[in-house]
Amino acid sequence: MLAERALDRLAQGADRSAEHREFTSDLSVEELVAVEAAGLEPRGLVGGSCVFRVGWQFVGWTEAREVDTLSTAMYESRERAMKRLVQEAARCGADGVVGVRLTIAFDNWGEGLGEFSAIGTAVRHRDRPGSLRTPTGDIFTSHLSGQDVWALLRTGYRPLGLVMGCCVYHYPAQGLSQWFGAVTQNQELQGLTRAFYSARELAMDRMQREALQLGSEGVVGVTVEEESHVWGGHTLEFLALGTAVRSTPAPPAPPTRMVRRVDV
Amino acid sequence: MSPEEIGLPEEAEHRLAELRGQGGQAGIFTSDLSVNEFLLVKEAGFDPVGLVVGSSIYHIGFQAPRWGQSQEMTNLSQAMYHARELAMSRMEAEAEDLGADGVVGVRLDINFYEFGQHSAEFIAIGTAVKGRQGSARNAAGKPFTSDLSGQDFWTLVQSGYLPLGLVMGTCVYHVGRRSLSGWLGSLGQNQELPNFTQGLYQARELAMARMQAEATEHQAQGIVGVQLKEESHLWGSHTIEFFAVGTAVRPLGEEHEIARPQMVLDLGG
Repeated sequence: MLAERALDRLAQGADRSAEHREFTSDLSVEELVAVEAAGLEPRGLVGGSCVFRVGWQFVGWTEAREVDTLSTAMYESRERAMKRLVQEAARCGADGVVGVRLTIAFDNWGEGLGEFSAIGTAVRHRDRPGSLRTPTGDIFTSHLSGQDVWALLRTGYRPLGLVMGCCVYHYPAQGLSQWFGAVTQNQELQGLTRAFYSARELAMDRMQREALQLGSEGVVGVTVEEESHVWGGHTLEFLALGTAVRSTPAPPAPPTRMVRRVDV
Repeated sequence: MSPEEIGLPEEAEHRLAELRGQGGQAGIFTSDLSVNEFLLVKEAGFDPVGLVVGSSIYHIGFQAPRWGQSQEMTNLSQAMYHARELAMSRMEAEAEDLGADGVVGVRLDINFYEFGQHSAEFIAIGTAVKGRQGSARNAAGKPFTSDLSGQDFWTLVQSGYLPLGLVMGTCVYHVGRRSLSGWLGSLGQNQELPNFTQGLYQARELAMARMQAEATEHQAQGIVGVQLKEESHLWGSHTIEFFAVGTAVRPLGEEHEIARPQMVLDLGG
Protein backbone atom coordinates (compact mmCIF):
# COMPACT_ATOMS: atom_id res chain seq x y z
CA MET A 1 0.00 0.00 0.00
CA LEU A 2 2.67 2.47 -0.99
CA ALA A 3 1.61 5.76 -2.52
CA GLU A 4 1.78 5.91 -6.32
CA ARG A 5 4.25 8.76 -6.20
CA ALA A 6 6.47 6.65 -4.01
CA LEU A 7 6.35 3.81 -6.53
CA ASP A 8 7.28 6.20 -9.33
CA ARG A 9 10.17 7.61 -7.39
CA LEU A 10 11.49 4.24 -6.38
CA ALA A 11 11.08 2.76 -9.88
CA GLN A 12 13.38 5.44 -11.25
CA GLY A 13 16.02 4.31 -8.85
CA ALA A 14 15.60 0.61 -9.56
CA ASP A 15 15.82 0.89 -13.35
CA ARG A 16 19.11 2.59 -13.58
CA SER A 17 21.90 0.75 -15.27
CA ALA A 18 25.46 0.47 -14.10
CA GLU A 19 26.58 3.44 -16.17
CA HIS A 20 23.76 5.63 -15.05
CA ARG A 21 23.95 5.50 -11.31
CA GLU A 22 22.01 8.00 -9.36
CA PHE A 23 20.70 7.69 -5.91
CA THR A 24 19.37 9.76 -3.08
CA SER A 25 20.54 9.21 0.45
CA ASP A 26 20.69 10.98 3.76
CA LEU A 27 24.12 9.58 4.46
CA SER A 28 26.84 12.06 5.28
CA VAL A 29 29.88 12.04 3.00
CA GLU A 30 31.88 10.04 5.53
CA GLU A 31 29.11 7.50 5.86
CA LEU A 32 28.84 7.16 2.10
CA VAL A 33 32.55 6.45 1.85
CA ALA A 34 32.31 3.88 4.65
CA VAL A 35 29.29 2.17 3.13
CA GLU A 36 31.00 1.92 -0.25
CA ALA A 37 34.18 0.62 1.36
CA ALA A 38 32.08 -2.14 2.90
CA GLY A 39 31.06 -3.22 -0.61
CA LEU A 40 27.59 -1.71 -0.46
CA GLU A 41 25.97 0.76 -2.80
CA PRO A 42 23.21 3.14 -1.76
CA ARG A 43 19.96 2.60 -3.67
CA GLY A 44 17.84 5.41 -2.41
CA LEU A 45 16.31 7.23 0.49
CA VAL A 46 13.39 5.23 1.82
CA GLY A 47 10.78 6.05 4.40
CA GLY A 48 7.51 5.03 5.88
CA SER A 49 5.04 6.80 8.07
CA CYS A 50 1.87 6.19 9.98
CA VAL A 51 -0.52 8.62 11.66
CA PHE A 52 -1.94 7.05 14.77
CA ARG A 53 -4.13 8.16 17.64
CA VAL A 54 -2.33 7.71 20.91
CA GLY A 55 -4.40 9.96 23.14
CA TRP A 56 -5.62 8.67 26.47
CA GLN A 57 -7.65 9.77 29.44
CA PHE A 58 -6.53 8.70 32.85
CA VAL A 59 -9.50 8.78 35.13
CA GLY A 60 -9.64 7.19 38.52
CA TRP A 61 -6.42 5.27 38.30
CA THR A 62 -4.99 4.93 41.76
CA GLU A 63 -2.05 2.66 41.25
CA ALA A 64 1.02 2.70 39.10
CA ARG A 65 0.68 0.30 36.20
CA GLU A 66 1.28 -0.27 32.53
CA VAL A 67 -1.16 1.27 30.05
CA ASP A 68 -1.43 -1.76 27.78
CA THR A 69 -3.41 -0.04 25.03
CA LEU A 70 -0.85 2.74 24.76
CA SER A 71 2.09 0.35 24.81
CA THR A 72 0.48 -1.52 21.94
CA ALA A 73 -0.40 1.66 20.03
CA MET A 74 3.11 3.10 20.32
CA TYR A 75 4.62 -0.16 19.20
CA GLU A 76 2.16 -0.84 16.41
CA SER A 77 2.51 2.59 14.82
CA ARG A 78 6.29 2.39 14.74
CA GLU A 79 6.04 -1.13 13.39
CA ARG A 80 3.78 0.02 10.54
CA ALA A 81 6.11 2.86 9.62
CA MET A 82 9.00 0.36 9.58
CA LYS A 83 7.04 -2.07 7.42
CA ARG A 84 6.43 0.62 4.81
CA LEU A 85 10.07 1.60 4.87
CA VAL A 86 10.98 -2.02 4.17
CA GLN A 87 8.44 -2.20 1.33
CA GLU A 88 10.03 0.87 -0.23
CA ALA A 89 13.45 -0.70 0.17
CA ALA A 90 12.22 -3.87 -1.55
CA ARG A 91 11.09 -1.71 -4.48
CA CYS A 92 14.62 -0.49 -5.03
CA GLY A 93 16.02 -3.97 -4.88
CA ALA A 94 17.86 -3.33 -1.63
CA ASP A 95 19.48 -5.79 0.76
CA GLY A 96 18.92 -3.59 3.72
CA VAL A 97 18.40 -0.13 5.15
CA VAL A 98 21.03 1.64 7.24
CA GLY A 99 20.87 4.74 9.42
CA VAL A 100 17.19 4.23 10.21
CA ARG A 101 15.73 6.98 12.37
CA LEU A 102 12.38 6.73 14.11
CA THR A 103 10.64 9.98 14.95
CA ILE A 104 7.25 11.08 16.22
CA ALA A 105 5.64 14.43 15.43
CA PHE A 106 2.62 15.46 17.46
CA ASP A 107 2.16 18.99 16.11
CA ASN A 108 -0.59 20.00 13.76
CA TRP A 109 -2.44 16.75 13.89
CA GLY A 110 -5.00 17.31 16.58
CA GLU A 111 -5.60 15.79 19.94
CA GLY A 112 -3.53 12.71 20.56
CA LEU A 113 -2.62 12.22 16.91
CA GLY A 114 0.99 11.56 16.13
CA GLU A 115 2.87 10.95 12.92
CA PHE A 116 5.33 8.12 13.34
CA SER A 117 8.00 8.05 10.68
CA ALA A 118 10.94 5.87 9.81
CA ILE A 119 13.57 7.03 7.35
CA GLY A 120 16.86 5.60 6.19
CA THR A 121 19.05 4.77 3.21
CA ALA A 122 18.48 1.56 1.26
CA VAL A 123 21.71 -0.25 0.35
CA ARG A 124 22.63 -3.30 -1.72
CA HIS A 125 25.72 -5.44 -1.95
CA ARG A 126 27.59 -4.30 -5.03
CA ASP A 127 29.02 -7.62 -6.20
CA ARG A 128 26.62 -10.13 -4.72
CA PRO A 129 23.19 -8.51 -4.52
CA GLY A 130 20.98 -10.25 -2.03
CA SER A 131 23.88 -11.65 -0.01
CA LEU A 132 23.23 -9.37 2.94
CA ARG A 133 19.59 -10.23 3.34
CA THR A 134 18.64 -11.98 6.56
CA PRO A 135 18.68 -15.80 6.74
CA THR A 136 14.94 -15.73 6.01
CA GLY A 137 15.54 -13.65 2.88
CA ASP A 138 14.22 -10.43 4.35
CA ILE A 139 15.62 -6.96 4.11
CA PHE A 140 17.71 -5.99 7.12
CA THR A 141 17.21 -2.71 8.93
CA SER A 142 19.57 -0.96 11.29
CA HIS A 143 19.79 2.28 13.21
CA LEU A 144 23.57 2.18 12.91
CA SER A 145 25.52 4.72 10.87
CA GLY A 146 27.43 3.86 7.70
CA GLN A 147 30.70 3.74 9.63
CA ASP A 148 29.23 1.36 12.19
CA VAL A 149 27.88 -0.98 9.52
CA TRP A 150 31.30 -0.97 7.88
CA ALA A 151 32.96 -1.85 11.19
CA LEU A 152 30.45 -4.65 11.82
CA LEU A 153 30.89 -6.22 8.40
CA ARG A 154 34.70 -5.98 8.62
CA THR A 155 34.77 -7.97 11.82
CA GLY A 156 32.45 -10.74 10.77
CA TYR A 157 29.06 -9.53 11.93
CA ARG A 158 25.99 -8.62 9.97
CA PRO A 159 22.97 -6.58 10.96
CA LEU A 160 19.67 -8.45 11.04
CA GLY A 161 17.15 -5.87 12.04
CA LEU A 162 16.26 -2.87 14.11
CA VAL A 163 14.65 -4.20 17.26
CA MET A 164 12.62 -2.27 19.79
CA GLY A 165 10.42 -2.65 22.80
CA CYS A 166 8.29 -0.11 24.55
CA CYS A 167 6.25 0.15 27.69
CA VAL A 168 3.93 3.00 28.63
CA TYR A 169 3.54 3.38 32.37
CA HIS A 170 1.20 5.57 34.35
CA TYR A 171 1.65 6.63 37.93
CA PRO A 172 -1.27 8.44 39.54
CA ALA A 173 -1.06 11.99 40.79
CA GLN A 174 -3.29 11.67 43.80
CA GLY A 175 -1.25 8.86 45.24
CA LEU A 176 1.71 11.17 45.41
CA SER A 177 0.49 13.00 48.46
CA GLN A 178 0.47 9.71 50.30
CA TRP A 179 3.94 8.94 49.09
CA PHE A 180 5.31 12.33 49.95
CA GLY A 181 2.99 13.56 52.67
CA ALA A 182 5.03 12.88 55.74
CA VAL A 183 8.36 12.70 54.03
CA THR A 184 10.86 15.20 55.25
CA GLN A 185 13.60 12.62 55.55
CA ASN A 186 15.95 11.06 53.09
CA GLN A 187 14.36 7.92 51.85
CA GLU A 188 13.80 5.81 48.83
CA LEU A 189 10.32 5.82 47.31
CA GLN A 190 10.08 2.11 46.92
CA GLY A 191 6.72 1.93 45.18
CA LEU A 192 7.76 4.37 42.48
CA THR A 193 11.18 2.80 42.15
CA ARG A 194 9.66 -0.58 41.55
CA ALA A 195 7.21 0.84 38.98
CA PHE A 196 9.91 2.60 36.95
CA TYR A 197 12.26 -0.33 37.26
CA SER A 198 9.62 -2.76 35.99
CA ALA A 199 8.64 -0.50 33.10
CA ARG A 200 12.22 -0.16 31.91
CA GLU A 201 12.86 -3.87 32.24
CA LEU A 202 9.68 -4.67 30.27
CA ALA A 203 10.77 -2.41 27.41
CA MET A 204 14.22 -4.02 27.34
CA ASP A 205 12.74 -7.48 27.54
CA ARG A 206 10.43 -6.88 24.59
CA MET A 207 13.31 -5.62 22.52
CA GLN A 208 15.27 -8.69 23.48
CA ARG A 209 12.46 -10.99 22.41
CA GLU A 210 12.34 -9.38 18.98
CA ALA A 211 16.04 -10.05 18.64
CA LEU A 212 15.58 -13.69 19.67
CA GLN A 213 12.84 -14.10 17.08
CA LEU A 214 15.19 -12.83 14.40
CA GLY A 215 17.64 -15.55 15.37
CA SER A 216 20.28 -13.03 16.36
CA GLU A 217 23.21 -13.45 18.70
CA GLY A 218 22.88 -10.08 20.28
CA VAL A 219 21.85 -6.45 20.13
CA VAL A 220 24.34 -3.60 19.82
CA GLY A 221 24.02 0.16 20.23
CA VAL A 222 21.03 -0.10 22.54
CA THR A 223 19.46 3.10 23.81
CA VAL A 224 16.87 3.25 26.58
CA GLU A 225 14.87 6.45 26.73
CA GLU A 226 11.92 7.89 28.62
CA GLU A 227 9.44 10.35 27.14
CA SER A 228 6.01 11.52 28.24
CA HIS A 229 4.96 12.73 24.74
CA VAL A 230 1.49 14.29 24.94
CA TRP A 231 0.26 12.58 28.07
CA GLY A 232 1.44 14.99 30.73
CA GLY A 233 4.07 14.20 33.30
CA HIS A 234 2.48 11.23 34.98
CA THR A 235 2.62 8.90 32.02
CA LEU A 236 5.92 7.86 30.53
CA GLU A 237 6.97 5.73 27.61
CA PHE A 238 10.12 3.68 28.08
CA LEU A 239 11.62 2.78 24.72
CA ALA A 240 14.52 0.40 24.18
CA LEU A 241 15.97 0.27 20.68
CA GLY A 242 18.98 -1.38 19.07
CA THR A 243 20.28 -3.36 16.11
CA ALA A 244 20.22 -7.16 16.27
CA VAL A 245 23.36 -8.77 14.83
CA ARG A 246 24.80 -12.21 14.18
CA SER A 247 28.19 -13.41 13.12
CA THR A 248 28.64 -14.39 9.51
CA PRO A 249 29.41 -18.01 8.61
CA ALA A 250 32.43 -16.89 6.57
CA PRO A 251 35.61 -16.31 8.56
CA PRO A 252 35.89 -12.69 9.59
CA ALA A 253 38.13 -10.34 7.69
CA PRO A 254 41.47 -9.60 9.30
CA PRO A 255 40.95 -7.12 12.10
CA THR A 256 41.41 -3.52 11.22
CA ARG A 257 44.52 -1.86 12.47
CA MET A 258 43.56 0.11 15.49
CA VAL A 259 44.94 3.56 15.68
CA ARG A 260 44.54 5.78 18.63
CA ARG A 261 44.06 9.29 17.45
CA VAL A 262 45.36 12.23 19.36
CA ASP A 263 43.59 15.43 18.42
CA VAL A 264 45.78 18.47 18.54
CA MET B 1 18.28 0.20 54.38
CA SER B 2 19.75 -2.45 52.14
CA PRO B 3 19.04 -2.78 48.44
CA GLU B 4 17.81 -6.29 49.09
CA GLU B 5 14.68 -4.80 50.60
CA ILE B 6 13.45 -4.15 47.09
CA GLY B 7 15.32 -6.85 45.26
CA LEU B 8 15.22 -7.12 41.51
CA PRO B 9 11.72 -6.88 40.06
CA GLU B 10 10.21 -9.97 38.45
CA GLU B 11 10.54 -8.41 35.03
CA ALA B 12 14.28 -8.10 35.54
CA GLU B 13 14.66 -11.73 36.62
CA HIS B 14 12.74 -12.74 33.53
CA ARG B 15 14.81 -10.65 31.18
CA LEU B 16 18.08 -11.84 32.69
CA ALA B 17 16.97 -15.47 32.41
CA GLU B 18 16.33 -14.90 28.71
CA LEU B 19 19.76 -13.34 28.29
CA ARG B 20 21.39 -16.38 29.88
CA GLY B 21 19.33 -18.70 27.70
CA GLN B 22 16.78 -21.06 29.16
CA GLY B 23 15.07 -24.33 28.36
CA GLY B 24 17.75 -25.42 25.91
CA GLN B 25 17.44 -22.14 24.02
CA ALA B 26 20.59 -20.21 23.33
CA GLY B 27 21.01 -16.92 25.11
CA ILE B 28 21.55 -13.55 23.56
CA PHE B 29 23.51 -10.46 24.50
CA THR B 30 22.42 -6.85 24.57
CA SER B 31 24.70 -3.89 24.86
CA ASP B 32 24.51 -0.13 24.82
CA LEU B 33 28.05 0.08 23.55
CA SER B 34 28.56 1.65 20.15
CA VAL B 35 29.77 -0.73 17.46
CA ASN B 36 33.36 0.42 17.82
CA GLU B 37 33.25 0.01 21.59
CA PHE B 38 31.63 -3.40 21.23
CA LEU B 39 34.36 -4.60 18.87
CA LEU B 40 37.15 -3.21 21.05
CA VAL B 41 35.75 -4.85 24.19
CA LYS B 42 35.76 -8.14 22.27
CA GLU B 43 39.29 -7.44 21.07
CA ALA B 44 40.30 -6.92 24.70
CA GLY B 45 39.23 -10.49 25.45
CA PHE B 46 35.79 -9.86 26.89
CA ASP B 47 32.33 -10.79 25.60
CA PRO B 48 29.36 -8.54 26.27
CA VAL B 49 26.63 -10.55 27.99
CA GLY B 50 23.88 -8.07 28.64
CA LEU B 51 22.67 -4.59 29.35
CA VAL B 52 22.32 -4.14 33.11
CA VAL B 53 20.47 -1.40 34.89
CA GLY B 54 19.67 -0.28 38.40
CA SER B 55 17.46 2.51 39.58
CA SER B 56 16.28 4.24 42.69
CA ILE B 57 13.71 6.98 43.08
CA TYR B 58 14.75 8.88 46.13
CA HIS B 59 13.25 11.60 48.21
CA ILE B 60 15.95 13.99 49.30
CA GLY B 61 15.07 15.51 52.64
CA PHE B 62 15.18 19.26 52.86
CA GLN B 63 17.84 20.94 54.91
CA ALA B 64 17.66 24.65 55.59
CA PRO B 65 21.05 26.32 55.15
CA ARG B 66 22.23 29.09 57.43
CA TRP B 67 22.42 32.30 55.48
CA GLY B 68 25.96 33.35 56.22
CA GLN B 69 27.60 30.09 57.04
CA SER B 70 29.64 27.89 54.74
CA GLN B 71 29.10 24.29 55.66
CA GLU B 72 28.51 20.87 54.27
CA MET B 73 24.85 19.86 54.03
CA THR B 74 25.49 16.42 55.43
CA ASN B 75 21.89 15.34 55.06
CA LEU B 76 21.96 16.11 51.34
CA SER B 77 25.41 14.57 50.86
CA GLN B 78 24.20 11.35 52.40
CA ALA B 79 21.05 11.29 50.27
CA MET B 80 22.91 11.85 46.99
CA TYR B 81 25.41 9.17 47.90
CA HIS B 82 22.94 6.59 49.17
CA ALA B 83 20.61 6.94 46.16
CA ARG B 84 23.47 6.40 43.70
CA GLU B 85 24.73 3.52 45.79
CA LEU B 86 21.30 1.85 45.65
CA ALA B 87 21.12 2.20 41.86
CA MET B 88 24.68 0.89 41.48
CA SER B 89 24.14 -2.08 43.77
CA ARG B 90 21.04 -3.15 41.82
CA MET B 91 22.94 -2.88 38.57
CA GLU B 92 25.69 -4.99 40.13
CA ALA B 93 23.10 -7.51 41.29
CA GLU B 94 21.93 -7.86 37.69
CA ALA B 95 25.52 -8.37 36.55
CA GLU B 96 26.02 -10.97 39.26
CA ASP B 97 22.86 -12.71 38.07
CA LEU B 98 24.34 -12.95 34.57
CA GLY B 99 27.57 -14.37 35.95
CA ALA B 100 29.46 -11.41 34.53
CA ASP B 101 33.03 -10.46 35.39
CA GLY B 102 32.32 -6.79 35.21
CA VAL B 103 30.33 -3.88 33.84
CA VAL B 104 31.82 -1.40 31.39
CA GLY B 105 30.59 1.97 30.16
CA VAL B 106 28.60 2.64 33.32
CA ARG B 107 26.59 5.84 33.22
CA LEU B 108 25.13 7.43 36.34
CA ASP B 109 22.23 9.69 35.53
CA ILE B 110 19.77 11.70 37.58
CA ASN B 111 16.32 12.34 36.13
CA PHE B 112 13.76 14.70 37.56
CA TYR B 113 10.17 13.89 36.70
CA GLU B 114 6.94 15.41 37.86
CA PHE B 115 6.85 13.68 41.18
CA GLY B 116 7.88 16.57 43.29
CA GLN B 117 10.90 18.78 43.35
CA HIS B 118 12.65 16.97 46.15
CA SER B 119 12.65 13.61 44.42
CA ALA B 120 14.66 12.25 41.56
CA GLU B 121 15.39 9.00 39.84
CA PHE B 122 18.99 7.85 40.07
CA ILE B 123 19.94 5.42 37.30
CA ALA B 124 23.00 3.29 36.72
CA ILE B 125 23.26 1.57 33.35
CA GLY B 126 26.06 -0.29 31.61
CA THR B 127 27.08 -3.39 29.67
CA ALA B 128 27.98 -6.53 31.62
CA VAL B 129 30.97 -8.39 30.18
CA LYS B 130 32.60 -11.75 30.73
CA GLY B 131 36.29 -12.49 30.27
CA ARG B 132 37.29 -15.23 27.85
CA GLN B 133 40.44 -16.01 29.81
CA GLY B 134 39.48 -16.67 33.37
CA SER B 135 37.71 -14.48 35.83
CA ALA B 136 38.47 -10.80 35.91
CA ARG B 137 36.42 -10.08 39.02
CA ASN B 138 37.76 -7.67 41.59
CA ALA B 139 39.51 -8.40 44.87
CA ALA B 140 36.21 -8.87 46.70
CA GLY B 141 35.15 -11.52 44.17
CA LYS B 142 32.46 -9.25 42.74
CA PRO B 143 32.03 -8.02 39.15
CA PHE B 144 34.10 -4.91 38.53
CA THR B 145 32.39 -1.72 37.42
CA SER B 146 33.83 1.04 35.31
CA ASP B 147 32.66 4.18 33.57
CA LEU B 148 35.36 3.93 30.93
CA SER B 149 34.31 3.78 27.28
CA GLY B 150 35.01 0.66 25.22
CA GLN B 151 38.01 2.42 23.67
CA ASP B 152 39.47 3.34 27.05
CA PHE B 153 38.78 -0.11 28.42
CA TRP B 154 40.69 -1.68 25.53
CA THR B 155 43.62 0.69 26.05
CA LEU B 156 43.65 -0.02 29.78
CA VAL B 157 43.65 -3.80 29.34
CA GLN B 158 46.25 -3.56 26.55
CA SER B 159 48.66 -1.78 28.85
CA GLY B 160 48.24 -4.28 31.65
CA TYR B 161 45.57 -2.95 33.98
CA LEU B 162 42.14 -4.12 35.02
CA PRO B 163 39.34 -2.03 36.49
CA LEU B 164 38.27 -2.80 40.07
CA GLY B 165 35.28 -0.60 40.55
CA LEU B 166 33.61 2.69 39.91
CA VAL B 167 34.49 4.87 42.88
CA MET B 168 32.72 8.05 43.85
CA GLY B 169 32.57 10.71 46.47
CA THR B 170 30.11 13.49 46.93
CA CYS B 171 29.77 16.58 49.03
CA VAL B 172 26.83 18.97 49.01
CA TYR B 173 28.04 22.29 50.27
CA HIS B 174 26.35 25.51 51.15
CA VAL B 175 28.54 28.49 50.47
CA GLY B 176 27.58 31.21 52.92
CA ARG B 177 26.48 34.54 51.55
CA ARG B 178 28.49 37.60 52.39
CA SER B 179 27.44 40.14 54.94
CA LEU B 180 26.25 43.51 53.72
CA SER B 181 29.30 45.31 55.04
CA GLY B 182 31.57 42.80 53.37
CA TRP B 183 29.74 43.27 50.11
CA LEU B 184 29.89 47.06 50.34
CA GLY B 185 33.53 46.98 51.31
CA SER B 186 34.54 45.17 48.17
CA LEU B 187 32.38 47.15 45.74
CA GLY B 188 34.36 48.21 42.72
CA GLN B 189 37.51 46.41 43.79
CA ASN B 190 39.23 43.49 42.17
CA GLN B 191 39.96 41.10 44.96
CA GLU B 192 39.68 37.52 46.01
CA LEU B 193 36.69 36.53 48.10
CA PRO B 194 38.37 34.25 50.58
CA ASN B 195 35.28 32.70 52.15
CA PHE B 196 33.91 31.67 48.73
CA THR B 197 37.26 30.31 47.63
CA GLN B 198 37.68 28.40 50.83
CA GLY B 199 34.17 26.96 50.77
CA LEU B 200 34.44 25.65 47.23
CA TYR B 201 37.96 24.42 47.84
CA GLN B 202 36.96 22.46 50.90
CA ALA B 203 33.88 20.91 49.30
CA ARG B 204 35.86 19.71 46.30
CA GLU B 205 38.55 18.25 48.53
CA LEU B 206 35.96 16.40 50.60
CA ALA B 207 34.38 14.85 47.51
CA MET B 208 37.76 13.73 46.18
CA ALA B 209 38.91 12.39 49.54
CA ARG B 210 35.77 10.26 49.80
CA MET B 211 36.33 8.89 46.32
CA GLN B 212 39.91 8.09 47.24
CA ALA B 213 38.79 6.29 50.38
CA GLU B 214 36.61 4.03 48.23
CA ALA B 215 39.58 3.25 46.02
CA THR B 216 41.66 2.38 49.06
CA GLU B 217 38.96 -0.04 50.13
CA HIS B 218 39.25 -1.70 46.72
CA GLN B 219 43.02 -1.98 47.26
CA ALA B 220 43.47 -0.12 44.01
CA GLN B 221 46.73 1.13 42.65
CA GLY B 222 45.05 4.26 41.40
CA ILE B 223 42.03 5.92 39.86
CA VAL B 224 41.77 6.83 36.19
CA GLY B 225 39.36 8.98 34.25
CA VAL B 226 38.26 11.03 37.24
CA GLN B 227 35.56 13.55 36.54
CA LEU B 228 34.70 16.31 38.93
CA LYS B 229 31.21 17.66 38.48
CA GLU B 230 29.53 20.59 40.12
CA GLU B 231 25.79 20.89 40.04
CA SER B 232 23.17 22.82 41.97
CA HIS B 233 20.35 20.50 40.90
CA LEU B 234 17.24 22.13 42.34
CA TRP B 235 18.71 23.77 45.40
CA GLY B 236 19.36 27.29 44.21
CA SER B 237 22.63 29.07 43.63
CA HIS B 238 24.53 28.74 46.91
CA THR B 239 24.08 25.02 47.46
CA ILE B 240 26.26 22.93 45.21
CA GLU B 241 26.98 19.24 44.89
CA PHE B 242 30.58 18.35 44.19
CA PHE B 243 30.70 14.89 42.73
CA ALA B 244 33.91 13.04 41.99
CA VAL B 245 33.76 9.79 40.06
CA GLY B 246 36.39 7.58 38.43
CA THR B 247 37.52 4.01 37.85
CA ALA B 248 39.83 2.34 40.38
CA VAL B 249 42.36 0.09 38.65
CA ARG B 250 44.87 -2.59 39.55
CA PRO B 251 47.90 -3.69 37.57
CA LEU B 252 48.00 -7.21 36.10
CA GLY B 253 51.78 -7.36 36.38
CA GLU B 254 54.89 -5.28 36.70
CA GLU B 255 55.27 -4.59 33.01
CA HIS B 256 53.24 -1.98 31.23
CA GLU B 257 53.85 -1.89 27.52
CA ILE B 258 52.11 0.77 25.57
CA ALA B 259 52.17 0.71 21.80
CA ARG B 260 54.15 3.56 20.31
CA PRO B 261 51.77 6.34 19.30
CA GLN B 262 51.52 6.99 15.58
CA MET B 263 50.80 10.14 13.68
CA VAL B 264 47.51 10.07 11.84
CA LEU B 265 46.19 12.74 9.53
CA ASP B 266 42.48 13.10 9.97
CA LEU B 267 40.67 14.12 6.79
CA GLY B 268 37.34 14.35 8.49
CA GLY B 269 37.18 18.11 9.02
